[in-house]
Amino acid sequence: MAAKPGAATPTYSPKLVGRSRLPIFKDSDLDWTRPDGRGFHQCRPALLQTGAVSSASGSAYAEFGNTKVIVSVFGPRESKKAMTYSDVGRLNCNVSYTTFASSTLGQGTDHKEYSSMLHQALEGVIIMETFPKTTVDVFALVLESGGSDLSVLISCASLALADAGIMMYDLITAVSVSCIGKSLMIDPVTEEEGCEDGSFMMTCMPSRYEITQLTITGEWTTPNINEAMQLCLDACSKLGEIMRDCLKQSTSASDE
Amino acid sequence: MGLPDSSQDLTSEMEVDAFRRIFPLRFFERHLSESLRPDARPLDKARDTIVNLGLVSTADGSALAKIGSTTMLAAIRMEVMTPSTESPDEGCIAVEFHMPPICSPIVRPGRPAEAAPVISKRLSDTILSSGMIDLKELCLVSGKAAWMGYLDIYCLDADGALFDAALLSAVAAFSNLQIPVVALNDNGRIVAISDEKEQDNASIIEEEAVNKEKRKLTLKNIPFSLTCILHKNYILADPTTEEESIMDTLVTVVLDSSDQMVSFYKSGGEALAYSSSIKSCVELARKRAKELKEILGEMDVD
Repeated sequence: MAAKPGAATPTYSPKLVGRSRLPIFKDSDLDWTRPDGRGFHQCRPALLQTGAVSSASGSAYAEFGNTKVIVSVFGPRESKKAMTYSDVGRLNCNVSYTTFASSTLGQGTDHKEYSSMLHQALEGVIIMETFPKTTVDVFALVLESGGSDLSVLISCASLALADAGIMMYDLITAVSVSCIGKSLMIDPVTEEEGCEDGSFMMTCMPSRYEITQLTITGEWTTPNINEAMQLCLDACSKLGEIMRDCLKQSTSASDE
Repeated sequence: MGLPDSSQDLTSEMEVDAFRRIFPLRFFERHLSESLRPDARPLDKARDTIVNLGLVSTADGSALAKIGSTTMLAAIRMEVMTPSTESPDEGCIAVEFHMPPICSPIVRPGRPAEAAPVISKRLSDTILSSGMIDLKELCLVSGKAAWMGYLDIYCLDADGALFDAALLSAVAAFSNLQIPVVALNDNGRIVAISDEKEQDNASIIEEEAVNKEKRKLTLKNIPFSLTCILHKNYILADPTTEEESIMDTLVTVVLDSSDQMVSFYKSGGEALAYSSSIKSCVELARKRAKELKEILGEMDVD
């Protein structure tokens, strides 16, 4: 579960190319830095690992900075509830937090909002026709919450689905951006999320260049949205490559 | 590596797999008669065990224990509370064991696993009755303030011997626990002191600090446990989920570091525990306790 010592953890910071306008601010204009000392367009190192849970059909562990999540996929298996006949499969998602996930004392509970957001992000990418009458369960546990939890959950879930061999059109990756004042910060940590003016999260299929989910809340200007979109698309495709490498490594390791 | 050969291999493999699914008990008994288990372990051998300390940054103490593929993450958070009037100079420890839906295909969200509260209670009893922790050490101001320790254990992967792994992770988390620095302020309240603050006004705090520096608990009589399956006249140490589901008589022995018995637990099941089999279980637990002590000892060195 822990990072292998010595092996450099890859990151997926985007690069803006061919931008048609000047940046809104220059680095020298800033009188403050991010809590973990990253650049504004720099992502946290992404550690990904498949096969974290042996009893699941597929599973993945993701560690992005202090955000640590495990996702298990069970099925396709018999639908538990007595439901009407359906030609296509069903997807069931659940996200829960540990009691020690955040530093403020709280009860670890099911997170209904993230459960449904995860479902919405995944349902567009899974080929439901391949498992009619059955259910695929995607269960996630946030071990430690360090910001951008939902985007890490979505990326990790798509990796777990791939590990379980569930048919998908493509891997999906999610990246979020926070807007504070004039500046855009990619992959925000908890402190930044707490004082943001607006948040932006994009889930896309990097190889197909298609978006499955886009959430924009708070105060945004059109140029800011455009810039955030550019940043996320580039970061998503880079994260997709990291995930692909992770899957390749796990299959080559199991072949040996 | 001719083609006919490899296809023949496949059919024989298929047959073994089918036999395992259709006649699980006979499949196991065939192995047991050869004094071997399907995962190539001898009957009395526990699976490989790994302990990692301090993985959760938001907790005051944490540990990850892995026995085979059974994985447990334990974390302790400390909070200041007012002690009860019956024991004014003692702290308190609350133990909770969770089985989130990720850990096993039988757990579904909204319907907690039946095993979880049972294991939770047994863990709490074992940790408190073993005398590992002196609750008086958790006292800050007699009658006014004491530490409340919340120990939460999450099962990340369930593959048998859940109690053993949970207890190991709990013990390791306590060995990793650093009690935070707190001070008594003017209003007679306990306040937490962060590291930076401490440097700023070190002189003021020195008078008021109740708990001057981060300290560790002294652990004595550390409990170690081993679960065995009794089946006919075989004893299988450290069972996997598959073994537990097929042969259902489980015996758990908990011994402390000086080989004193802390608890003995036999759930129902078909087989009866005779004194001879109990003796062999205790003997196996003694060996296992020695192994676990070494594993934890290695951790303490770092």
